[in-house]
Amino acid sequence: MAASGASAMQKARTEALREAMAREKVDVLVLMGNNWHADYLRYGTDFGIQEGQGIALIRADGTTTLLLDDAAECDRARGETDSCEVVHAPKLVAEARDRIARSGNRSLAASPMHLLPYGLLKLEEEDLRIADGAPVIEKLLMTKMEVELDCIRKASVLADEGYVIFRDAACPGRKDYELIAEIECFFRSKGVAENFMIIGVGGQEVRGMAPPGGKVLKQGDLVTTELSPCVNGYYAQLCRTLVVGQASETQKKAFSVYQEALEEGIRTVRAGVTAADVAKAENDVFRKYDLGKYTTSEYTRVRGHGMGLFLDQKPQILEDVDIPLVDGMTVIVHPNTYHPDAGYMVLGDALIVRPDGHECLSTLSRELFSVTAN
Amino acid sequence: MRRGLMAWDANEVPVATIEARQARLREAMRAQGLEAFIAYTNIARPAAVSWMSGFTPYWSEGVYCLPLEGTPVFATALSKRVAEWISTVMAVGEVAPTPQPGVVIGKLLAEKGISKAGILELDELPAKQATALMQNAPGVNFTDAADLFHPIRTQVDDAERALVRHAAKLAAECMNKVDVEAASAQDLIAPCELHARLSGAEEIFIAVAPDLSKSATLKRTDTAGELADTFALRISLAYKAGWVRLTRSFARTAMGATDFDRLQQMFDDFQPQAGQSIDGMLRQIFADNGATLKSWQLEQPRGGYPLAIVAGSEVSNTWTAGAPSVMGVDVETASGHWLAARPLL
Repeated sequence: MAASGASAMQKARTEALREAMAREKVDVLVLMGNNWHADYLRYGTDFGIQEGQGIALIRADGTTTLLLDDAAECDRARGETDSCEVVHAPKLVAEARDRIARSGNRSLAASPMHLLPYGLLKLEEEDLRIADGAPVIEKLLMTKMEVELDCIRKASVLADEGYVIFRDAACPGRKDYELIAEIECFFRSKGVAENFMIIGVGGQEVRGMAPPGGKVLKQGDLVTTELSPCVNGYYAQLCRTLVVGQASETQKKAFSVYQEALEEGIRTVRAGVTAADVAKAENDVFRKYDLGKYTTSEYTRVRGHGMGLFLDQKPQILEDVDIPLVDGMTVIVHPNTYHPDAGYMVLGDALIVRPDGHECLSTLSRELFSVTAN
Repeated sequence: MRRGLMAWDANEVPVATIEARQARLREAMRAQGLEAFIAYTNIARPAAVSWMSGFTPYWSEGVYCLPLEGTPVFATALSKRVAEWISTVMAVGEVAPTPQPGVVIGKLLAEKGISKAGILELDELPAKQATALMQNAPGVNFTDAADLFHPIRTQVDDAERALVRHAAKLAAECMNKVDVEAASAQDLIAPCELHARLSGAEEIFIAVAPDLSKSATLKRTDTAGELADTFALRISLAYKAGWVRLTRSFARTAMGATDFDRLQQMFDDFQPQAGQSIDGMLRQIFADNGATLKSWQLEQPRGGYPLAIVAGSEVSNTWTAGAPSVMGVDVETASGHWLAARPLL
């Protein structure tokens, strides 16, 4: 299921990348990645890396070489991508350095720069400097073509279905990682290769979400999660909160703030506004209820973010991010934060930005779910 | 991506075990005049930091510094709130949440007046972290310390042995969940994934070679598709940073299953020894049974990687006998490929 249409999509991505390289006068674009940050490699090669690390050399002449340090991944890449030369490179950085140096190209760029290995800086000894490749690729990662949006729509449907599995698995006495086991089983059965999710279990003392640590669900607990399945490498995210047992009046009242903040944030989303505008709309609701301090970095990271080949891509939805939203961007709006009366709560929906508003991908009710003992 | 149980249990990895590992590393550092040992971690390269700290760093990157004396520091790009959680699952050391791990560790080295520090796999350290380290610790001479780390890392303690054994047990249980009549790779993979995660596996990657009569390439759940009469399943599983792989080949016909069982028995009985020609011995035992060894490999933890090839048909031998290893083979039979891999415990 997930692989269908990948080849046509890769042709479109490759063409877009070459145009951007020509515009930025880049001869070789060096893309790096691993299982967490797989987006740049996937865009350039259509390979979804799982183990080890990879470096792709995208050349202006239309050829691409994918270097992988894991032998099994190399074998898989040869079977899954037909658009590039695949090379097993146990000494990944040295191999990349040699190939770049041998090519003699002078206009080099790399992305994402935070993954650029120190060993590639040694190219400077040969008078080869690597510029930041963000101007070439970042806009392409943020703004999707229709074929890419279709993948995110499918991923969002799976996220909604997955949450139902998660909710049905939650009951007193179960451990947090058992809920995740149920949902990962469901996703694998649907051909979803990757999913990112974290979880929070407990009450007022819980200040965020993390990987599961073995907490046992008990009556009255809030269970928060964000889950993010992908289709053809494209992620969609969903955030929801449930209560084990009946929600208390305090929990219901607290959650109503998140519902209002999400609605205000979503109402703001359209091409032309900035990420900051969306964040402000969400945060103003918290301020209205004298909860403004809980929108700061002390209590929350972001008020949403972009989604695509990486689940947490630009633009981050924050009041100091002035990146404009444009048609075809995909974002999740989530006013997730700590509430002093109830604990950490989450609620978020995925959207496609459109000129006159947005297309909301999540169809799941925005209620505070309640589960009782089976 | 990490999504299974992540917890530290002092009964499984006692603080004393972590401290003993650090003491051995410090002894080697002292012998080479290093006053600090630095290791970078990300999702693909968590193994060295796991071994030193007892914590398995997950998706975000970080830099761990073990000074010759004093408390180790783990600088991570995760938030302060997540750092509080890390503190509860990291046996030894302090957590410093920061958007710039290299800056924090560089300043730490400068404050301590350190003059020489070793970095594990310096060339692979992200340039951003490396330059931040060097700019904030201008008086420090940095060297690559991979050769120093490796012989220390391959000394296995009881805690590690137990974690790897447990991981192997879980992987074997998952393999027993295989329905040989499953129609698709998805049907095959899902029950294995469920069992592993319900049993507390930290991570599991499952790949399938859907038609061994045509190819030995292992694919993921999104691309493997329908299963043929012979197929193989590879389970890569982590339990609290102890990684194993287990690969089995399956045949739907009784005759095929009998042939595969015979090859499996031979493979399970084979125990490589240091100093032997593993290649020659493997070729011989498969040839004796009418099959041809196409390739083999031995994997072990290496540097930041939980498993990396250290010996094989296409790789020179740097295998350390006695340390956790995984041996894998690709064998050609009359009906096509036969794949297997198992941990050497």
